[in-house]
Amino acid sequence: MQLPLLASTFLTVFVAELGDKTQLTIVTISGTSNNTLAVFLGSAGALVLASLLGALAGGSLSSLIPPDALQLAASLGFLVIGLRLILRSGTDAP
Amino acid sequence: MSDPVDPDSSASPETGASPEASANHEIETPESSDFVAVAATTFTTVFLAELGDKTQLAALLLSAESGRPGVVFAGAALALICSSLAGVLLGRWLAAVLPAKRLERISGVLMMSLGLWLGGQATFGLLQPVLDLSTP
Repeated sequence: MQLPLLASTFLTVFVAELGDKTQLTIVTISGTSNNTLAVFLGSAGALVLASLLGALAGGSLSSLIPPDALQLAASLGFLVIGLRLILRSGTDAP
Repeated sequence: MSDPVDPDSSASPETGASPEASANHEIETPESSDFVAVAATTFTTVFLAELGDKTQLAALLLSAESGRPGVVFAGAALALICSSLAGVLLGRWLAAVLPAKRLERISGVLMMSLGLWLGGQATFGLLQPVLDLSTP
């Protein structure tokens, strides 16, 4: 039966993703943007495609591009978004 | 009883309605490009952040390769969609509860600290072989 495997995978990944930095990012973008549907479609698509790529490439992706280099690129993105939000909260605020 | 408002008469109070309608279409364009921009920004950020983090899930999927990787992927994809939906809803709730400027400042500080922490970890990981070589 496939249902137990489906359920256990769902629970494992769902619990692992709760409170993850990815979800914090989604909360942040969704809270500070008015376009809820765009945020949802963008984040869900990115998560599914990233896991699909990770599954298809397996170990070869991490040998091609070091995960730390990807994380460094992501951290730069975080810094840019955070700085933009802080600057936005400072301007035209009472 | 108030006088019934005819929707047709209110829609065209002027005779030159066709340039008006095309101007409305012009106004709609930035909104739809904003949709694409928001979706693309979210996609890129989440994709980059998640791709380097996917080794665990990849291992999970690889370990299931002997069995049913399709079922494992379906379960994982479903869980990811649900978790991003939960994140979006939490963000919407926060936006309704907190003042916009305060939420922006809190989010900004959170993102900057995430960026610094993640960047520091990644830099340390990238420099680790060099550090190992330098210490005898």
